[in-house]
Amino acid sequence: MGGDKIKKDKRQKREEYRAAIRQEGVSELPRKKFYRQRAHANPFSDHQLIYPPSPDQMDWSSLFPHYVVDEPQDQQTPAPETSTSQDLAPLKVKRISKDVEVADIGCGFGGLLIALAPTMPDTLILGLEIRVSVTHFVEDRIKALRAQNDEAKLYRNVGVLRANTMKFLPNFFRKGQLSKIFICFPDPHFKARKHKQRIVSTTLNSEYAYVLRPGGIVYTITDVPNLHEWMVQHFDAHPSFERVPEEEQEADPCVAIMRTETEEGKKVERHKGEKHVALFRRLEDPAW
Amino acid sequence: MTLPYHLVKVCGSIVFAAQGGDIHSFSSALQHISTWKYPAVQQADESKAPSAETEESPAPEGPPAKRRKVENGKDSVSNGQPKSKKNAQAMPKRPCALALTSDNNTILSADKFGDVYALPLLPTTTTTTTGSESAPSPLPSQPQSRSATPSTPTTTTTPAAGQTPPLFKSQANELTVHTKRNLRALENQKISLGRRALAEQLGANRPQFESTLLLGHVSMLTAICVGTVSVAGGKPREYILTADRDEHIRVSRAAPQAHVIEGFCLGHEEFVSRLCVAPGGKAEVLISGGGDDDLFVWDWVKGEVLGRAAVLEHVKGVAGQEEASKVAVTRVFACTWEGRTGVFVVVERVPALFHYDFLEDNTLQHRETIPLPANPLDVDLVEAAVAAPRLLVAVDTATSTSTEGRGSSLIALEKGEAGWRQSRVEDLPAGGDITMSTTELQKILYSTESLRKLSDFD
Repeated sequence: MGGDKIKKDKRQKREEYRAAIRQEGVSELPRKKFYRQRAHANPFSDHQLIYPPSPDQMDWSSLFPHYVVDEPQDQQTPAPETSTSQDLAPLKVKRISKDVEVADIGCGFGGLLIALAPTMPDTLILGLEIRVSVTHFVEDRIKALRAQNDEAKLYRNVGVLRANTMKFLPNFFRKGQLSKIFICFPDPHFKARKHKQRIVSTTLNSEYAYVLRPGGIVYTITDVPNLHEWMVQHFDAHPSFERVPEEEQEADPCVAIMRTETEEGKKVERHKGEKHVALFRRLEDPAW
Repeated sequence: MTLPYHLVKVCGSIVFAAQGGDIHSFSSALQHISTWKYPAVQQADESKAPSAETEESPAPEGPPAKRRKVENGKDSVSNGQPKSKKNAQAMPKRPCALALTSDNNTILSADKFGDVYALPLLPTTTTTTTGSESAPSPLPSQPQSRSATPSTPTTTTTPAAGQTPPLFKSQANELTVHTKRNLRALENQKISLGRRALAEQLGANRPQFESTLLLGHVSMLTAICVGTVSVAGGKPREYILTADRDEHIRVSRAAPQAHVIEGFCLGHEEFVSRLCVAPGGKAEVLISGGGDDDLFVWDWVKGEVLGRAAVLEHVKGVAGQEEASKVAVTRVFACTWEGRTGVFVVVERVPALFHYDFLEDNTLQHRETIPLPANPLDVDLVEAAVAAPRLLVAVDTATSTSTEGRGSSLIALEKGEAGWRQSRVEDLPAGGDITMSTTELQKILYSTESLRKLSDFD
């Protein structure tokens, strides 16, 4: 009984804290301890997810409000059409002036997003995370940072979404829309029985190849040597990818950020663990 | 009670119908020819009676000419024994849907875990002994277990190679686990490593035939089909179309480039359960149905929706406005006669066949609802060449409301001037008796609606 009470108090505290931080005008950075969530989620179960039926129907305007295009009103009213074609027309969504080009799959508490945002101010960066509380944390963090840096117009190019990318990546992105995908410190799923749940596999790599444009790059980093080997083997075995040579890898500014700025990266640093980095370039599809 | 016929398939002039583990063959005049029995079912374990894989694996879909080759020269009709089980192939996961490639040499098996495997219709060993000229292309044999080593899309599992599988390797180390408890677990893992390695060596629990992993979804696959598009001045291009429970229809290139996803047909908001490619010979058109209220018509090459056709509203016409609130499409079947293309749709637990016209401008128009005495389970076209098309429908007689609905579970529908004339196929072979409650049987026969997502947890 005592345990229940403590639990309830904790939950209540969390809710109060989150409600307070979400109020208008508050630009305080959120504290992680009110957003912690178990580090694993089952990608196979039917979470209550919100996702568009297709990329055309995705409303990006709430994530990137500063990029919304003001469309003249008369353009939005369609010409009189038959009822059938009206049914077919995708729901009218507010357009934004740019497409998301960088995705951080499993963005966690958003360290990488926040570090990347100022380095590529003209590119829209999207974090995708399956855990609800963690996504809320990143949302609140971005909101606070945008408010704090309003004059410098920083952090307007980052957004976060709750999504199960293993299932619904093509619902968000069109073919060849992305130029970079980050996969940082993914869940290692040590048991062989759970390998199907790993975020990198030959069959899933085909989906990454689909959303990446030729020349685009997948960035991977992990502290688990075997997972690193696994990712390298699976990307190497996939005909749509080639490994980026080490020289080029180390010259990429994103690699340094990925090493030092991700939350997991910092934790590994504290524990004096190893960090294994591998980059893969999307090749052109073969002729047929 | 008696099992209903739940699958019908017409191959040239032979009609196959499955009843639990039995497959019966009929002539096109619907005279019974022979019966093949699934061995396991005869052993009285009825728990896994009617399911797709028991029916389809021994009955390769293909024209009779092809079948004769399979039968190694035996004339399949004249000896009255057209079916012999050519190969029993155990798959790593339960197959959900099967398709044949356009060269009729490879089975594509889509499974519950989301993977599509290619397996030769005739195992290589068989083809070499029979000296068939069309042996599947030999692939580099390289042992692999799906989980432990990278499985390239063109890797073949050939356990006959007899090489030792890769041993279990501990994935964590002292640098990646930090808590005391995890470190202790790591110690224990290392201790038990030897035992595990031994078990790995002994229990080579892998499929005993060639299979190639082509592609995969992270979702249960529900349908697979092969589409072919001709290219001006080139070889026709073959694609694999796969549908899953998470509303996707994926278009991939066929092997050996199955790793290239060409596109998606996105727009369904519920599971997709049925695909029908190239209705009326229009190669680039796809009709899909599932848990949505409408059928979708796609240009699958471009990934564009061409139109939708309501199903729910016509289901309401049969089942009542109030009773029917959702549909689960279980069959979408297109056939052409007299220059017209008809699309027949079966909806789970609805005692009617929905007939749509597939028009020149790629739209589907509801033509009529053909009431049936009981729930249809499958439908196929027996004869198209004659002026009046003849359909064969398998129905679940147990769901019939009237006594006249009982009896034969195969119904022939013939297009007459006054609509569709229904006649029971009599003189069906005896068999199909099972000891199973009606509810249990219904659960097996009507499984499509269960694909709908219900759970609402975070």
